[in-house]
Amino acid sequence: MIKKIKASSSEKIIFIFLILLGIITSGTYFVIKNKCLFIKNYNPKNINFQNPDNIAILNAPCGNVIIELYPNISPKGVKRFEALIRSNAYENVAFHRVIKNKLVQAGDLEFGKKGSLDYGKIGTGKSGLGTIKSEIDNKFNYVKGSVGLARTFKNDTEDSQFFIILQDEPLFEGEYTPVGKVLYGLEVLKKIKHQRHSEYILRPDFINSFKMLN
Amino acid sequence: MILLRAVLLTFIFIYPVKANTIYNLIKIPNLEVYKINTQNKLKYFYATSSFRLGVQKNIVCLNPNKKDLDTKYNTIYKNLNKYSYNFLKKINLKYIVLCENLSISGINTAGIPDNIIKTLILDIKFNKDYFERVIHHEVFHVINDQHKELFNESEWIKFNASNFKYSECSTCTEKLGLNTYNKTKGFFTEYSKSTASEDMAEVYSHLIFLNTEKINQIRKSDIILNKKISYIENKIKKIDNYFTF
Repeated sequence: MIKKIKASSSEKIIFIFLILLGIITSGTYFVIKNKCLFIKNYNPKNINFQNPDNIAILNAPCGNVIIELYPNISPKGVKRFEALIRSNAYENVAFHRVIKNKLVQAGDLEFGKKGSLDYGKIGTGKSGLGTIKSEIDNKFNYVKGSVGLARTFKNDTEDSQFFIILQDEPLFEGEYTPVGKVLYGLEVLKKIKHQRHSEYILRPDFINSFKMLN
Repeated sequence: MILLRAVLLTFIFIYPVKANTIYNLIKIPNLEVYKINTQNKLKYFYATSSFRLGVQKNIVCLNPNKKDLDTKYNTIYKNLNKYSYNFLKKINLKYIVLCENLSISGINTAGIPDNIIKTLILDIKFNKDYFERVIHHEVFHVINDQHKELFNESEWIKFNASNFKYSECSTCTEKLGLNTYNKTKGFFTEYSKSTASEDMAEVYSHLIFLNTEKINQIRKSDIILNKKISYIENKIKKIDNYFTF
């Protein structure tokens, strides 16, 4: 005959504690794993814009980044940027250069496309449309959220790559062609995958879509 | 070798990537912003600790102390403020690096221009007697580097007496004196006699530094210098017609 043993109250407390610990651990795991959990995703349809024709929406893994373009400051730069956005050229293109809390860079159409990433050459690719002249004479404050066209070490080599800064960079004025500024969704960019010991990202995040509002 | 690799890898993985905007722009380490909101948009940096440059790391400069830096900055700013933003853009000069005891391969120098990175490195402790004029001398080297096609050394040499010869290089001569001659005889200073480009830089720096009356006086008394002054004036006007000496 098997004798039934009753659990003591201290054993019950330990049992409940272990169950709670398990729930908290697994809950925390999912919270930590979901990097986008507390990031607000802005819907451009719910926002009234002063210049709706100059609004572009970049969709990244954690949501929308709403950017206003400045054709008055850099007409040629914005024209190129907008043309590439309208042709969906930036879709599935990697954020190949990310420096935590400093900048994210994307737009290598040649070596940065999902499915045909070339880690050896990423950052050097071209759009096929040729380079354009730097537009660096107009006053522009490179504050947090500013969007500029990337270039090589020389001026007049802007093409399709762009960067968005996550902190103020006053030294960028007069160096890089500004094309716009993030109005909403800077937090989305802070969640783009970065690496602790390298600016260039292994298995990077990608732009899901990049479209003009109108 | 394996141990060395292991140490290097450990260092790479432990050390987080830290972006330095100044380094990314001009590839000179250990710099901080001194002043960036200037009238002609020149941006001034200073060395926070010594740095070495060049393929063989033969360019060396030390960090200046705060007091010297503040004093010399005012002098440098006053002199470089003579150049307009448009002119600076044409000569591709944007960044001024201030440091102390600048040398190339152990030889002290007042400045090192690099028009590719739009930078002029200045030794704030260089020859205090002629410091202001030397700033313009170094600016001329920036101009010359950016507009090499304008400044023809063969043409320049012809201004001198036929029996005069420059040295092979500016550092392979004892002609280093910077005090302005009372009797010029075709050259403003002893250093002018080192090389054609140094001679041009000396003419330019005197043109900027001396007043018009003094320049006119020299032009009347020295035929060779008169030709050299006209040459420099014409070439600078070709770069920027609005430039005033």
